[in-house]
Amino acid sequence: MAELTFTPVIGIEIHIRLKSDSKLFCSCSTDTDAPANTNICPVCMGLPGSLPVMNHRVVEQGMLAGFALNCGIRPKSLFFRKSYFYPDLPKGHQISQCDLPITTSGYIEVHDSEGKLKKIRVHHLHLEEDVGSLHHSASDGRLEGADTSYVDYNRSGTPLAEIVSEPDVSSSKEAVEYVMTLRRRVIYSGASDVELEKGMMRFDANVSMKCSDGRWGHKVEVKNMNSFKALERAIEYEIKRQKKIMLQGGEVIQETRHWNDAKGITSPSRVKENYRKFIVEPDLPPLYISQEWIDRVAARMPEMPDVRASRYVTDWNIPQEVADLITDDRNLADYFESCVKAGANPVRAAHWVRTEVLRVMNEKGLKISEFTMKPETLAGLVERVDGGKLSTTQGKEVFDYMCANNSGIDDAVKALGITEGGVAGNALADIVASVIAANPDVLDEIKSGKDKKGKKLKFLQGLVMKETKGQAKPNEVAEAIAEAVK
Amino acid sequence: MELYELNLWMLMEGLKAGKFTASEVFTSCKNRIDKCEGNIHALITRTDNEMPTFSKDGTLAGIPTIIKDNLCTKGLRTTAASKILGDWRPPYDATAWARLKDSGAVLMGKANMDEFAMGNTCGNSAFGPTHNPNDITRVPGGSSGGSAAAVSAGYVPFSLGSDTGGSIRQPASYCGVYGFKPTYGMVSRYGLISYGSSLDQIGPFARTVRDLQIVMSVISGHDKMDSSSFRNKPHDFTHNENASIKGKRIAVVKEFAGFTLDAPIEDAMKRTIKILEDEGAIITEVSLPVVSKYAVACYYALAMSEAHTNLERYDGVRLGYTVKDARGIKEMFERVRSEGFGAEVKARIIAGTCLTEPTRCEEYYVAATKVRTLIAQEFSRAFGETDYILQPVTPSMPGKIGESDDDAMKGYEADLYTLPVNLAGLPGLSFFTGYAGNLPVGLQLIGARWSDSEILDAGMILERHFGSPKISDGGVN
Repeated sequence: MAELTFTPVIGIEIHIRLKSDSKLFCSCSTDTDAPANTNICPVCMGLPGSLPVMNHRVVEQGMLAGFALNCGIRPKSLFFRKSYFYPDLPKGHQISQCDLPITTSGYIEVHDSEGKLKKIRVHHLHLEEDVGSLHHSASDGRLEGADTSYVDYNRSGTPLAEIVSEPDVSSSKEAVEYVMTLRRRVIYSGASDVELEKGMMRFDANVSMKCSDGRWGHKVEVKNMNSFKALERAIEYEIKRQKKIMLQGGEVIQETRHWNDAKGITSPSRVKENYRKFIVEPDLPPLYISQEWIDRVAARMPEMPDVRASRYVTDWNIPQEVADLITDDRNLADYFESCVKAGANPVRAAHWVRTEVLRVMNEKGLKISEFTMKPETLAGLVERVDGGKLSTTQGKEVFDYMCANNSGIDDAVKALGITEGGVAGNALADIVASVIAANPDVLDEIKSGKDKKGKKLKFLQGLVMKETKGQAKPNEVAEAIAEAVK
Repeated sequence: MELYELNLWMLMEGLKAGKFTASEVFTSCKNRIDKCEGNIHALITRTDNEMPTFSKDGTLAGIPTIIKDNLCTKGLRTTAASKILGDWRPPYDATAWARLKDSGAVLMGKANMDEFAMGNTCGNSAFGPTHNPNDITRVPGGSSGGSAAAVSAGYVPFSLGSDTGGSIRQPASYCGVYGFKPTYGMVSRYGLISYGSSLDQIGPFARTVRDLQIVMSVISGHDKMDSSSFRNKPHDFTHNENASIKGKRIAVVKEFAGFTLDAPIEDAMKRTIKILEDEGAIITEVSLPVVSKYAVACYYALAMSEAHTNLERYDGVRLGYTVKDARGIKEMFERVRSEGFGAEVKARIIAGTCLTEPTRCEEYYVAATKVRTLIAQEFSRAFGETDYILQPVTPSMPGKIGESDDDAMKGYEADLYTLPVNLAGLPGLSFFTGYAGNLPVGLQLIGARWSDSEILDAGMILERHFGSPKISDGGVN
């Protein structure tokens, strides 16, 4: 009997915080780091009598995110009330577009196990409001068993985009590439900063297994993954768990499971999923989006990272891997392109950005926006190195000096005692003469013809290079010494 | 004549002319409330302890008023007649109240109502029932019973109520005052504690149509805090003595012809038609088959579906009634809601939950939204054939307190004449036609969306014939 094989069938739901100064349905600040319950109002507190009012700026952010996922925009979408009781949900229902979302379907491309490009279809993106945050006194930080729980409504009403994929993902690796690519594209669009450490991206995965004998296991919803790593591990764990059950002839139970990152396992959700019902939100009119509005927002869409990387490869002969690395971060790519615009050779500039700029950013833990050297300055440095005014080594010294002291190129060159264009001609001849004068015995040996292997000549060259602080070209030094010892 | 007996426009003119002072008006109204409130119980909260400062140059400078207790008042207890709101003091004013206050109105109290505006007797209040000031053994109607009774008894010249399925028009009719339910979107709902959000509308009670016009001009108009409030230029509610309905078409509903009405109401219909004919109007007939068959079911399906989600926020976490000794959050929610809501509210929450739960949602809630569209279309077609529809407010005269409590369905069906108006978002005026014994008889005039000022003009013409209602004895003579 042939061995059974299993194909994972995975769908991913992602929640992303959209970038906006104000909340989805009121004008409160979205600063969730402010002291608890300071960015709240009757609307986001769900006080009796308050009514939600659509923030049209957030609609545009949703449209941008939709474009980044290759989605279309629906001319008319609706908001619904998604009911369940929880202390962090002030109205007892969440206002969400779940049933008639702002976007139509789209896709994200990932590489399958054979390295071929594969489309993961995005079912839709919809807008919804976030809930408040709970702080429990229980030792495990969860609601159950806590003596006291505190609610902070600063986050309540902040805008979220929920992105639902089709079950096209076949492995944890594809899942990670899907969410990473999606995140990069959404950041590019300007719709969100998607700062993972600030919890701006949260994942749920629906995992089921198809067996070669025709069996198809039930779907299990895995919740509570807040990092790429957690998503990857949770999916791998769930694939293994379900495979084991099916190999033993058992049946996978359809349920919601909670990912425990510390233990590295999923377990049945302790809180029973509340029964959810949807009615149309009667306090908000349908969201109508005209073609004119779509066009206006679409015009703001920047070039997406993959397109940008291809352009670097085609137009500037930059190696694909370097292009990918630079375009990973929209701001870094912008920085690089500013360098090129300021006159730097693209291949050289790309090299400098990839090696030196990223090195300093990593060492100092900076974002490119916090990197003080202007792209025009870097372009100038690249040009001087390319033009031979500075050696590569000198260029790096100047770069480091500029980073450390926030100075211009000329100041750095001066402070480092560098002679631009190197030591040559008469200056070099003078140094050679003084070195020879200080080593008469070496000169004698050379002249006597004993230095058959040229060791003494090399010795003199070394001394001269040292005197010039490495600023002379080795071949010119050799020529100058040869001339002097004739 | 006492100052409290003056209508709104008379008080405004008298104050302007310096015939009396705002303080004298305040004292007169306060004394009237002192005298009658023990019999009527129109108010949940009184705020007439002393004369507050008020905006001196506004339209309503120094005019006493009362508003329904489902309108938020900053720093002042707002209950919606429910135990569940406890001693909640809203941190903000409802827009309609803010507009009254800005124009100088003086709040005398917050009016009793059916809990969360669910009811048509004013008997479903956690604070006890309100009595009809024309006959204190009878109900004042509801849910805005307190607001209607207060105007009828002369507490104040005008008040505000809210109308989700007849909650202004029916108590106006029972108490013998004018009550106006504006077009949905005419008055901002911001700060109105929601019952059925797509049906709720705030409107005024007064003893003359002219007074309604004055109040409408103050409270109507766009509010950016309410997405359903209309954005066009403000409507003109200026009083026009020369308004005419000559040549206007006024229809009665064909399908309602067979329904039984109490004799005084039947009689009032006949007299009103005669008056309208005499005024040169063309009496016609429209057919509303969907409305007559399905409006009641459609209305309750939608109202309860919306209501149960509107009432999900009362969980004891942030405000109002709560329990301190619950074991766990689930028990807290259950106890707060079990102990905090009254029976009728619970019934509607349960019904709304059932109507929208996934296995029934299509059959009930979604079906109701479709029927609603048909009803709106039916009215829209009807208003191509007529300018106004004349019909009763209720089929019967006000019942005795406690009487209608036995049969909830009878109470629901009594709303057939009022709730289609809410389903279609139309304006409706409940107008006074006279008395049958000591009880007033009201009828209703309905128009197309945004025909509010035309309806009030027609109401004014009818008022000229029927006369304005007198102030009821308030149980004290």
